[in-house]
Amino acid sequence: MVSFGAHDPERQEVVSRRTVLLGGGVSLLFAGIAGRLYQLQIANHQKYLDLAQENQFNRRVLTPLRGEIVDRFGAPLASNRKNFRILLVPEQARDVDAALDKIAQITPVSDDRRARIMREIRRRGAFTPVQVADNLTWEEFSRINFQLPHLGGVLPDVGETRDYPFGPASAFVIGYVGAVTERDLAAEKTDADRVLLRQPGFKIGREGLERTYESELRGAAGSMNVKINAHGRVIEELADTAKPPAQGKPLTLTIDAELQTHAMKVLAEPIPGVEQDVQSAAAVVMDVITGDILVLASTPAFNPNDFNVGIDPALWRELNESPYKPLLNKALTGAYPPGSTFKVLSAIAAQEAGHKPNETVYCRGKMWYGNRYFHCWKAGGHGTVNMEGSLKHSCDTYYYEIAKSLDIDVLADVAKRFGLGQTYELGVSGQKGGVVPSREWKRAYYAGNPENQTWFQGETLSAIIGQGAVTATPLQLAVMTARVATGRAVRPRLVRAVGDLVLPPPQAPLIDVDPAHLAVARAGMNAVVNEYGTAARSRIEDPDWQMAGKTGTSQLYRITNEERARGLTKPEQLPWARRDHALFISFMPYENPRYACSVLVEHGIGGSRAAGPKARDIMKAVAAKDPASRTPFDPRALARAPGLQEG
Amino acid sequence: MSIILPGRRRGIRDKLSRLHWPLIILLTIIAGAGVITLYSVAEGHWQPWAIKHGMRYLAALGVLVAAALVPVRFWLSLAYPVYFAALLALVAVPLIGEVNMGARRWIEFGGMQFQPSEAMKIGLVLGLARYYHGLRAEQVSHFLYLIPPALMIGAPVGLIFIQPDLGTALLLAATGAIIVFVAGLSWRIGFAGVLGGIGAAYGAYRFDILKEYQIKRILTFLDPDRDPLGEGYHLLQSKIALGSGGLDGKGYMEGTQSQLKFLPEMQTDFIFTIFGEEFGFVGAIGLLLAYLAVIITGLSIAMGAKLHFARLATVGVVATFTLYVLINTGMVMGLAPVVGVPLPLVSYGGTVMLTIMAGFGIVMSAHVHRDQDMYRSSDSL
Repeated sequence: MVSFGAHDPERQEVVSRRTVLLGGGVSLLFAGIAGRLYQLQIANHQKYLDLAQENQFNRRVLTPLRGEIVDRFGAPLASNRKNFRILLVPEQARDVDAALDKIAQITPVSDDRRARIMREIRRRGAFTPVQVADNLTWEEFSRINFQLPHLGGVLPDVGETRDYPFGPASAFVIGYVGAVTERDLAAEKTDADRVLLRQPGFKIGREGLERTYESELRGAAGSMNVKINAHGRVIEELADTAKPPAQGKPLTLTIDAELQTHAMKVLAEPIPGVEQDVQSAAAVVMDVITGDILVLASTPAFNPNDFNVGIDPALWRELNESPYKPLLNKALTGAYPPGSTFKVLSAIAAQEAGHKPNETVYCRGKMWYGNRYFHCWKAGGHGTVNMEGSLKHSCDTYYYEIAKSLDIDVLADVAKRFGLGQTYELGVSGQKGGVVPSREWKRAYYAGNPENQTWFQGETLSAIIGQGAVTATPLQLAVMTARVATGRAVRPRLVRAVGDLVLPPPQAPLIDVDPAHLAVARAGMNAVVNEYGTAARSRIEDPDWQMAGKTGTSQLYRITNEERARGLTKPEQLPWARRDHALFISFMPYENPRYACSVLVEHGIGGSRAAGPKARDIMKAVAAKDPASRTPFDPRALARAPGLQEG
Repeated sequence: MSIILPGRRRGIRDKLSRLHWPLIILLTIIAGAGVITLYSVAEGHWQPWAIKHGMRYLAALGVLVAAALVPVRFWLSLAYPVYFAALLALVAVPLIGEVNMGARRWIEFGGMQFQPSEAMKIGLVLGLARYYHGLRAEQVSHFLYLIPPALMIGAPVGLIFIQPDLGTALLLAATGAIIVFVAGLSWRIGFAGVLGGIGAAYGAYRFDILKEYQIKRILTFLDPDRDPLGEGYHLLQSKIALGSGGLDGKGYMEGTQSQLKFLPEMQTDFIFTIFGEEFGFVGAIGLLLAYLAVIITGLSIAMGAKLHFARLATVGVVATFTLYVLINTGMVMGLAPVVGVPLPLVSYGGTVMLTIMAGFGIVMSAHVHRDQDMYRSSDSL
């Protein structure tokens, strides 16, 4: 082995010098590290302390309970119930597909649902919890909780969901709630609301009163500070910092849920002698003094509870494709030719045009006018008919005779005064205005076609019996009946109180009409039901609740001369969609009116046959309960209930 | 009074009494800080880290003492074999190594996983010390004599760089450079080397030699706020933890940042953060002073050794240790890129602990046999 001992002192000197230098350099670097520590821990201590606090504490939004919707006597039409659900935090689950597979072993997760969850994750990012399944049974929910240690990122949660105890019966009034869309978020004005809407499973009003009164029903979010760890898992809830959420305001409606349910049942009943399973029908019952709508029914109806969860696509298709239109509220959105029910107004217009009630017309069953016959519904004719008789027997010829010299604008003016051709503030969208034909209407209707703008007197002959261009919704017919019954411009309403603020009934000023003219119309309606008129079989025997009414049958297709010559097909043998609509309007008691009712049965063949009996059955129940005489619900009772105070 | 006669072999008891006990106490204090911090990281549990860390330290201390009792000339004779064995293992890594977290660093050896780059940390120190042991002072800066150390450093650094393990490669290169510097390299060549290094680094960046994640780490280090939830997240959380600790800390086991798991790799690379959060500026400075004391002690041992190999090997071990401490603490405070270098003796991890303690075993051997020189002890080998 070579030895360099001789050189050692020199080498040692160099190494020692350099080692000292190294030690000095290292010490300097350590001083630098210490300086940095000073900067972080002493100089900027407060800044990092604040950041640490921010890290540690998170504000959690507390979702408010949605305001309840109750009927006029306090029965809940829309309330909240516990909803056991599973949320998933994608960032914690890592493999979302695997997590969904595991959940699917406990509660079914359809492919459709899975695709929707994936879309939502992409849209909202990996840190926001998404709802995987809800409305779990208690058993499923327990199993999820039991398996939780093996389900990364899965958060079991007890939420609140909307419940509609009356199901389809209240569907068209209440509407339903649905999931929040990007458009809903964009429409919100405040950040607080946007944050609230982003809460998993949050629902907003989609239809009906749920939509119209969204801002009142929603309530205000509360908040609570929570201590979280780096995974966002809550370690501790700091209850003393909590600001409780404020439940939304309750809505008290004018609806009587019991009568509403009864009306739905009556509407759905089959018509004797007609083979037809589903009745596509609507009914409205109003308090003629206050305008309170007691019944707003339409069949068939969807079940709003199906919509809360996110409706099954197959069911949605079925609802959309049904010829009976279960998604349409026919009481408001269906405008039908009112047929002979319109004659009540025609009789008033005739008197305003100078005709006396005792003038008579001889009905031969048809009348030649212009270039064609106008037929009375009774082929053999009614013989001599005065005004009251024309209503009682619903004689068309009588009105044809009047129409020959009646100005259409006089008829239109009466129709408008009595509430046709307009919509009402109900809070339920989709109301149709209907058509009240007039010269002006025709000009506007044929705006692009000047040669068609002239009004022909022959059209007045159709309009006066509620055919031709005239259309009205069942709601409008109920309003019309209420106005005929009272002589006041009654306006309908659905909401009796918002929160604990009871709204006064809308003003109902007297209609500019001669009371004597009205009396004739009313007497005619009384005769229809109680003096062996067209609706004799719909008579209510109770003398305290004598009902007056008017039948209507609106023809959908003009009957050709050939058909008439061949002999008419029995309506029962026509396909459903070609049968005439059946209508009936009524009010009671005749002497001192309180309730008005309109009933429509689509393709029900005849007013006296299909609509009248249904109106009678509904009005009998109204008479038995007499809701207007009962003390309505005091909404302050809801506001006072524990847990419902505003925070 | 004990006058040790040249050439006489010392007894075990005698050697034990010559151990540098203050150094052992300092190392034990530092390892103890590791144990209590790991206990806190585990939320007040000995498992899974604290107890194992303590046991490993005691075992590694045994290795240190054993190495210290071995004559330093024995280490000298083993220097080249150890270096070349480690180099061979490094060459083997790309051929038979295990891929772990995207990098090929491990090889299986007799059923045990073995990281050749770790062995090279000792191997390079020994190899370079052995090389300069054989040079005269004036030869150190001679061009021809610069080629072997350049190759000795360059080969393992290159092999580790392609694994890829940028952190360890740079650490080795720096260790080698320090040994060459202390051995007496002329300042001119030293500066030229530094400039060349900077040029090489720039070239590596320019020509896409670095992996994307490595570039990202360096860029994040230069501007940590550019990606607060990505690469910069760890660093930001680390600074928050340290900064919120303040002067005297949040108290033992009270560190919210760490207890709430905002910090990554708490038991390994970011352990200094937890220590600083819970014990504050006072505690962190205390720990740094303990490290500095170890370093100064080590350097003074180097200066006191007669054998040139012992001096340089000691400097090399201390340099490695120093670089670990500086890079790790610098990293968690945002002064150095996040490269995955543990805090020696405090971070959980057996391999590094063993490397460090074995290294200090050689340092200790240099101290125990500080009076020995080559020509007086030819009888020992």
